[in-house]
Amino acid sequence: MKDVMGLIYTGENDIHLGELTSQRAVAALPIAGRYRVIDFQLSSMVHTGIKNVGIITQKNYSSLMDHIGSGREWDLHGKQGLTILPPFLTRDNMGVYSGLLDALKSNLTFLRLSRQEYIVLTNSHTVYNVDYSDALRAHVESGADITVLYTRGGKGLGTEGKDDTYLTVAEDGTITGMEIGSAVPSSDCASLKIYITKRELLRQLVEQSAANGMHHFGRDLLQRNINNGSLKICGYEYKGLACQIDSIQSYFNFNMSLLDAGVRRQLFPKERPVYTKVRDDLPARYIGESQCTNSLVANGCVIEGTVINSVLFRGVKVAKGAVVKNSIIMQDAQIQEGAEIDHCILDKQSVIRRNGRLIAPAAYPIVIAKNVVI
Amino acid sequence: MRKKQCVAMLLAGGQGSRLGILTKKVAKPAVPYGGKYRIIDFPLSNCTNSGIDVVGVLTQYRPLELNAYIGSGSPWDLDLANGGVFVLPPYQTGKTGEWYKGTANAIYQNIPFIEQWDPEYVLVLSGDHIYKMDYNAMLRAHIQNGADLTIAVREVPWEEAPRFGILNTDEHNQIVEFEEKPAHPKSNKASMGVYIFTWSKMRKYLELDQADPTSENDFGKNIIPTMLKDGEKLFTYTFDGYWKDVGTIESLWEANMDLLTLPMPIDLYDKRWRIYARNPGMPPHYVDEGAKVIDSLITEGCEVKGVVNHSVLFAGVTVETGAEITDTVIMPGAVIERGAVVRRAIVAENAHICAGAIVGEETGKIAVVGPKATIAPGDKVAAGVQIDADAQ
Repeated sequence: MKDVMGLIYTGENDIHLGELTSQRAVAALPIAGRYRVIDFQLSSMVHTGIKNVGIITQKNYSSLMDHIGSGREWDLHGKQGLTILPPFLTRDNMGVYSGLLDALKSNLTFLRLSRQEYIVLTNSHTVYNVDYSDALRAHVESGADITVLYTRGGKGLGTEGKDDTYLTVAEDGTITGMEIGSAVPSSDCASLKIYITKRELLRQLVEQSAANGMHHFGRDLLQRNINNGSLKICGYEYKGLACQIDSIQSYFNFNMSLLDAGVRRQLFPKERPVYTKVRDDLPARYIGESQCTNSLVANGCVIEGTVINSVLFRGVKVAKGAVVKNSIIMQDAQIQEGAEIDHCILDKQSVIRRNGRLIAPAAYPIVIAKNVVI
Repeated sequence: MRKKQCVAMLLAGGQGSRLGILTKKVAKPAVPYGGKYRIIDFPLSNCTNSGIDVVGVLTQYRPLELNAYIGSGSPWDLDLANGGVFVLPPYQTGKTGEWYKGTANAIYQNIPFIEQWDPEYVLVLSGDHIYKMDYNAMLRAHIQNGADLTIAVREVPWEEAPRFGILNTDEHNQIVEFEEKPAHPKSNKASMGVYIFTWSKMRKYLELDQADPTSENDFGKNIIPTMLKDGEKLFTYTFDGYWKDVGTIESLWEANMDLLTLPMPIDLYDKRWRIYARNPGMPPHYVDEGAKVIDSLITEGCEVKGVVNHSVLFAGVTVETGAEITDTVIMPGAVIERGAVVRRAIVAENAHICAGAIVGEETGKIAVVGPKATIAPGDKVAAGVQIDADAQ
């Protein structure tokens, strides 16, 4: 797949993720014990053989840039490799994107200077592990102008459905209808907002739409062209697991779903490892009468207390007598002696002091922000 | 190439035959240690952390795995435009060409490599030990003493001194005598096999040594005694940190078990002196309901459903329900099936222990299941026995 490039848009709306994305883009949100959300999209592209990847950034992208670096961990530090496309300010570009279409318009130069025939365009809040080769083949064979990947039957674990897009797909794969944010969708084909098209066509479409003062990729570009039939837009059903991370609850549910061996097998198949920034931690260390059941534990953790049904990121410390239940604990957070937490999401480096208690209801996990000491 | 003050030469050509089945197909420095490392990670990380950024790795025995592991050197920040890590196998020249005959000969054959960097000093290392050492501090001592050769030493218990190369010094740490394994040692300063030479002197003695047909071309046997006899300035440099030889099955096992004691005798959490390793990129490890983990190190990619007690599990190890692992080191990708019992053992990479098998005993020597070896259901492996996949 030498003739394909990738482009990841990380500026999407993340209002329902609350505190978790107040200081970072959803792409840089820690997930699954040692990854960031974008690792899944990047690794999928790399496993497809894509060597030229652009990442369009919008708000607070320093943690994203710190994470990605030169792209070495993904083998994207080559001659083409990785291009980070931060917002910028010129006379006709305000640096604030009102949507994907706007962002593409600002980055037309990158599209123009790339050499590949095809492009895979994705959002940064859907977690999956896919080799796009099959979808690309289907795209070429169908003769579609644009192919949209979708899942059926609510497979998108934990999705909130707030601005979901549903597609009406005909027998032959052609998309005949598209509903955005419908309360009662007339189809169960949920768009993954992953698009395959020709780079040159995308460039033309973006230029045209921009000239007509449009901003919304779904509404203004796709929906309009589906409705007036001027482009052949097809659907491709992705049958694997794809999870939208678009709210605190979906974030919580997704991480918890990884305690299931079947989900882990789908997201971490041996032949397609998910790459991430390396931290050089020691393996996790269990000391004395620690207890750990049904949990995921990353390297660098030190466990002396009790851990049940939880996901522990790298470098987490659970002290003697501390109890961690049904919780997600990000990098280097500490639960001190005798403290007890249930249904909590602890952001990086947060500390639950000695004998502290934080018990949340299952339906509403508490988020403790980065660096907070309780 | 720009000039370097000091370049390191890492002697990684030996087989390490005392590690038996573990080094049958890989060179000793590539042997796994500590749940996620290989032995060579320690000298390589020490170099990077000491600011030494040219490392020649002299390979000879079974180099494939070691070469693949070192790769471009990026895990140790040794993939540089001006410097980096270089794998140096023996090579042919014209009609001749020969294997590395001894430690000194290996360096002699790579004089052109060293000269490229026009260094003042050359650091000689081996890939046999687990330790964290600031070579730069040793280099400063070497320069301050105006030494021609500085030998890193460790003060060993007197009763153990007869097992080592012992250096007798004056009150200023200048070496007056070198004794290989003395029956009645006069000092307890044991050589660590870490040397810093002033390059001009080193080159002179390597060439002299090469011209002597009776020489074994060995630093300990030939170069050091000759330099002493000629009255060159040789000094010791005392290192008092954790230092563990991992050249035998028992010592490799012990060094792994050392990581389970409190406090850890070698601080691998120290952010200022990280030990780097190549990362296999696996998800966090999973501990199932009904599993029990006590006093152990567990690496990413493991699936633990049985009981793991006082053991070290490397990446991607599976321990099935009802299996019991005690005082054991399990290397990457090994599978322990349900109901198997493993005690005081080293289970090598991708070995497979079938249901109900019993490996090792509560006391006695360490049992070893070799790389890719399979222990059939219900079979027993006694203490001290090594199982070779090729012999199966």
